[in-house]
Amino acid sequence: MRKRTLAVAALLLCMVQAQAQLGVMKRVGNNTQDYALGFGAFIKSAIPVSEGADVTVELGANLFPLKGYGMKYGTIMCPLKAGYRYTLNGTGQGFYVEPQAGFNLFGLTSLPEEYGNNINLRYHGAVLAAGAGFLFTIGRAPFDLNLRYEMVIAQGGSNNLISLGISRTISFGKKDTDY
Amino acid sequence: MTMKVYLLLAACTALLSSCLKHSIEDAMLNGSGSQSTTATLRYEINGNPVTLSVKNAGNQAVGSRTLYCEKAVGYVLSGVSSAGEFVFTFYTDSLMVGNYSYTSNLGPLFVTTFEGKPQYVYGPSDHMNFSVTSHKDGRISGKFSGQLTPAIVPGYPNNVYGTPGSVLIRNGSFDNVPVFY
Repeated sequence: MRKRTLAVAALLLCMVQAQAQLGVMKRVGNNTQDYALGFGAFIKSAIPVSEGADVTVELGANLFPLKGYGMKYGTIMCPLKAGYRYTLNGTGQGFYVEPQAGFNLFGLTSLPEEYGNNINLRYHGAVLAAGAGFLFTIGRAPFDLNLRYEMVIAQGGSNNLISLGISRTISFGKKDTDY
Repeated sequence: MTMKVYLLLAACTALLSSCLKHSIEDAMLNGSGSQSTTATLRYEINGNPVTLSVKNAGNQAVGSRTLYCEKAVGYVLSGVSSAGEFVFTFYTDSLMVGNYSYTSNLGPLFVTTFEGKPQYVYGPSDHMNFSVTSHKDGRISGKFSGQLTPAIVPGYPNNVYGTPGSVLIRNGSFDNVPVFY
């Protein structure tokens, strides 16, 4: 079932156009001060529905190391999201807003335990995100600079994060613009 | 019109965020919703019903807990009632919804006391089968059954055992048992 979900996600991401994105992010909320700055990588595809709007599908991996433990402990989440990206001037360029919703395919928080054992907490959950960004071009290369607030909801709690990312379109533009 | 929709979505996101004060790990570790929940353990052992119920299960004091699951080497489900002690270890580093079993191939395992005698997974067909059907908000629920052998002359590890597989556990269930770390 999970393989099928991933296959469908991969197919969608290959349609029309795709973007590779890197982001730096910070977990926010209660008891998140022990987490260092996180980072993430994403593949994102956009299906144009009008000149100024796209339906987007994004598969990402967010990694948040726990301070003082290198990469040994921390949280990793892999959300699959669908969104609607709307450029404010209706041209497909410039500032945009993008609400997203989806499912966390994989979530793992690994913590140290006082007797030297690991505590591994696994979860899935729903994902909600609200993002805004700016689509621009350097030379002929289209870029997307974006800021996003995202929450993964599971087990009666939520992991919230703020992400600043930049992405580069890597293939398949169908609109006049390459975004 | 479109902007109103976006603003509404943003407001909903902010509202949900403010409602969920706990991170996922805090909710799982502390059982944030379990403080006022009643935990129960029920089973029949050779047809004799055993019921253990603990109110405010999330607030059981360390050292005097009577029904709980604790992270140790695996996760140890433990219940103490007038009928005796009931113990089962989920040998996993991450307790999830799913099936867990223990057979005598893995060595003798104490499970409970019945008629004054400790009962073990020992005989060739002895087993304990657990199904965790829910692990949410720091609480677990599920069902279990098993077949055990009494130690008629206890003295682990040199127990003298009785008739293999002569003790049956049926219709076992556990609900809202808090998980402590």
